[in-house]
Amino acid sequence: MTGPRESDAPLTTAGEPITEAEAHRRLRSDDPSLQYYAAWWLGKMRSPHPDTVPLLLAALQLRQPREVGAGVERNAVARNAARALGKVGDGRVVPELLAALADEDDGLREAAARALGELRAEAAVSPLCERLASGLEGAGACRPDSPKLQEPCEALIEALGDIGVTREDVLATIAPFLQHERPLIRSAAARALLQLTGDHAFGEQLLSLLEHPQLQVRRAALMDLGAVGWRVALDPIRRTHAENSLKLIALRGLVERGSGDPSTEALLEAMDELL
Amino acid sequence: MNSSDRFDALIAAVEQADSAGALFQTTRTLATALASQDLAATGDSPPDQALACLVRILGFNNPGAAVAAVEGLMACGPAAVAPLLEGLDDHNYGARAWAVRALAGIGDVRGLDLLEGALANDVGPSVRRAAAIGLGTLQVDGLAPQERRAVQQRALVALESGAQDGEWVVRYAVATAMERITPRLQELEGGRHRAESILHRLADEGQEEAPVVWLRARLALSRLSCP
Repeated sequence: MTGPRESDAPLTTAGEPITEAEAHRRLRSDDPSLQYYAAWWLGKMRSPHPDTVPLLLAALQLRQPREVGAGVERNAVARNAARALGKVGDGRVVPELLAALADEDDGLREAAARALGELRAEAAVSPLCERLASGLEGAGACRPDSPKLQEPCEALIEALGDIGVTREDVLATIAPFLQHERPLIRSAAARALLQLTGDHAFGEQLLSLLEHPQLQVRRAALMDLGAVGWRVALDPIRRTHAENSLKLIALRGLVERGSGDPSTEALLEAMDELL
Repeated sequence: MNSSDRFDALIAAVEQADSAGALFQTTRTLATALASQDLAATGDSPPDQALACLVRILGFNNPGAAVAAVEGLMACGPAAVAPLLEGLDDHNYGARAWAVRALAGIGDVRGLDLLEGALANDVGPSVRRAAAIGLGTLQVDGLAPQERRAVQQRALVALESGAQDGEWVVRYAVATAMERITPRLQELEGGRHRAESILHRLADEGQEEAPVVWLRARLALSRLSCP
């Protein structure tokens, strides 16, 4: 079967059960592969232990080159530490994440942006906007040497939507990305603007992406509709060609984040049909 | 052209498909033909070679074709169970996962072993969630009372364990399965009480982390209390 991985655990140790104490011990070690898994695990478990945050903050400072062959990304431990800090949910780590948002490694900037979004960190709004301010020609331009954009635009835009500060300058910063040549960026922009303004016109843009010929785009639109919880999307979500697993995640978002019509019961019945 | 010749031609088309798109189209044609055959009226059973062909497609690593094949197999009901069980390939994870979904949808008790094993051990949450629903909807009406109770007891035990699954979507499926199985548990002593206590736990914000699971379990409890 093809499809997205069901979790973001490192494949080599996926599902390996460890204890919180073991995760802390691994994070204190100097073996990056142990640290990498431990950081991920503490985030997944949203570990409440008082040692967790200081250990993750220390791990956020670790820099490693990419391990060619092993498939391990550059600065893997720091990136996982940033992701975990977003999930653990302690707002005191915002200054360290803001520093990571200015790191030269764009993968770390991306992880930091997502974590700041999860923490609803209002202090991040202006720094996120600054990274996007150069628009389609700057932040949103393709790099000559890789398939990436100059900035991790999708994560930066989604973080602004999740944080939820509806300011004119924020809306004006995001709006140009509705015209980006890549549909995933357009989807992120429509999602954020729908979250910030509630204007259905942006929801309609997400619905049109649910009919995009590429599966990857339809999947992204599903996740974005779930993140907003826009209940109007129920029938288009049912109809789009994508895995039921992703439709269920999207409908969970409609149940938990949305309100109004269709009713919660109607949404739950639609989910039952997809099991 | 009689029915058997017609299916031979459809099977040949599947076997000759030379692209992912062609495999999907020919599978859908074969599955639709099987599903729309009015078996009850003609007294015919679905041709074995057509069912075996759909089962083979489950192992081809083509999700679109596999979905179409699962739908065709489910439409054939109990007649598809033996070909599914005989065609299981222990070394092809993808094929097993699709077979679990087909058996879960058919609800035949011959699939019980496989569904129990899938809910307890399968690595894919999508397979475990399908197995949970299958365990909640097994057809036991034709069985002797003692056998019926034995099947329901095993299904309930498997679902009780599934309620502890680490993935929210599997616990959600257990809540839905509990709603479906509970009205049929009268013959099992204490069965209804056990099912409801699972639902109360899934409905409890202190014990279950996913709000959508609480909401589904509460819906199940309210429907069960006033049918």
